[in-house]
Amino acid sequence: MRLGFFLREAVRSIRANVAISIAAIVTVMIAVFILGTFIPSYLYVQSTVNQQKSRLDLQVYVADAATTPEVAALQAEIVGLKDHGLVKGFTYVSKDEALQQFKSRLNDPSILNLLPNNPLPASFDVTPTDPSHNTQIAASLRASPAIDTTMPGNGISYAEQTANRLLSIARFIQYAGLGLIGVLLIAAVLLIGNTIRLSIFARRREVEVMRLVGATNWFIRWPFVIEGIICGVVGAVISVAALWVAKVLIVDPYVASSTDGLTKNQANTIGFASLAILLILAGGAVGAVGSGVTLRRFLKV
Amino acid sequence: MSTETDTDAELNSAEPSRSASRPARDVERRIDRRSLLRPGDGPMVIFEGVTKRYGTDVVGLEDVSLSIEAGEFVFLVGPSGSGKSTFIRLLIKELDATEGTVIVGGRDLGKMRRSKVPYLRRGIGCVFQDFKLLPGRTIYENVAYALEVTGDAPRAIRRKVPEILSLTGLSDKSDRLPNELSGGEQQRVSIARAFVNHPRLLIADEPTGNLDPDTSIGIMQLLYRINRTGTTVIMATHDRDLVDKMQMRVVALEDGRLVRDERSASYATVEP
Repeated sequence: MRLGFFLREAVRSIRANVAISIAAIVTVMIAVFILGTFIPSYLYVQSTVNQQKSRLDLQVYVADAATTPEVAALQAEIVGLKDHGLVKGFTYVSKDEALQQFKSRLNDPSILNLLPNNPLPASFDVTPTDPSHNTQIAASLRASPAIDTTMPGNGISYAEQTANRLLSIARFIQYAGLGLIGVLLIAAVLLIGNTIRLSIFARRREVEVMRLVGATNWFIRWPFVIEGIICGVVGAVISVAALWVAKVLIVDPYVASSTDGLTKNQANTIGFASLAILLILAGGAVGAVGSGVTLRRFLKV
Repeated sequence: MSTETDTDAELNSAEPSRSASRPARDVERRIDRRSLLRPGDGPMVIFEGVTKRYGTDVVGLEDVSLSIEAGEFVFLVGPSGSGKSTFIRLLIKELDATEGTVIVGGRDLGKMRRSKVPYLRRGIGCVFQDFKLLPGRTIYENVAYALEVTGDAPRAIRRKVPEILSLTGLSDKSDRLPNELSGGEQQRVSIARAFVNHPRLLIADEPTGNLDPDTSIGIMQLLYRINRTGTTVIMATHDRDLVDKMQMRVVALEDGRLVRDERSASYATVEP
């Protein structure tokens, strides 16, 4: 492949069709900007939901009256569930530990000194491999005589409704988000393809002449593909610059000044550098594919 | 016309004298480029019972058989719609014959794969009534493009293009754009582009159709001189005066049928 020649050809045609090239660049710019705001938002929301999901543990309260063998049997059952892959892990929280944890949450722990004895039961804090297993886990442990049935949820407490709602929201965000990204990508490819089609249509006579003097399809196509890549990358770079300005001027100050939990939690989202590289690559790829595919129609010998 | 001062001898000798001093690799490349048209003294073009229909009932050509020897000059005459353009488009495989066989340079075009077509066309120079130049490029770039597509080295291109431009009398126009040139000059560019690869077959479809009689004669002379270098030239035309003046082989088409094929002939048969 004669890169130098094709590069010169691509630059020539961009300069010869400035208006159409600018249209293509602006199209890529808009599409990439939308993707660039949507992708991190989507990842942020998804990661937040996942974090909330992981907090959906079960509390299995142990009755004060339970004998040591009964508690051991309960623990063995939980271990059994772990072996079945339903439970990821569990911790035993003794009565004293429960009291300590409770104390640490109070503004004035000394108030607990008024209590004659420790009213908090010991418990197993069970983390499911997936919150959707909670109902099953609860059902299989419920028969154990060690459980303190006077506690909420008859001794096995988990936020069943909250869990289910959160799970369905998580699923919705996952599918809707992916769907939306897909639709955006398709829209971007179509828009860019259309713009490139205009550019190629304006030059269909030129393509015809190239074919008549014996240019192979790839010889004709390469400059167009390179042109598409250049327009795509330029559009994406402008967009990334705009996104960066938006991040520095709007998002970063907001996160820094905000005190609410949502922005404070360490939700994983995409780093700006990776996002920029991803978007620029996507811009170039969309430009290349858009022009390559559109040109096919004019290359039928 | 002052640009016609080049002699036939010059045009003839230009290629061999230079190729002698050319590195062997370059020569090999030139041969490779043309390899689709087989060398040899056999017929350059053979049509055997060629019929071309568009759709089911529009006839472009009807059962045409003829043979054109290498080095011949052939006029293809006939009124509009007689099948001249169909004939020419079959030669460069822009169309495929509905029936019959088209053989160019020893190659059966019906059996040729689509992907080979660009290589076929590199061995055939094409000149059209509407010139088909690339509008945004200078004269030099237009001619150079035909060499770029064959993968010629930049150095070879820088040598060959001025050479062919001087042979066609366009040296002082090389930096102009096509739309800055007269019709006759544009047609010269188109011939220069067609001939810069030194093809063994040159096809001209109404090359003088848009030109005044004087300019037409200049173009005709240029094509004739190209023919004298050994290149087979097929020229479709309905320029009666030109054909009568030249007295070359005339192939006449009418409604897609071959109605006359005569050597040293005029545009129309002389009524007795």
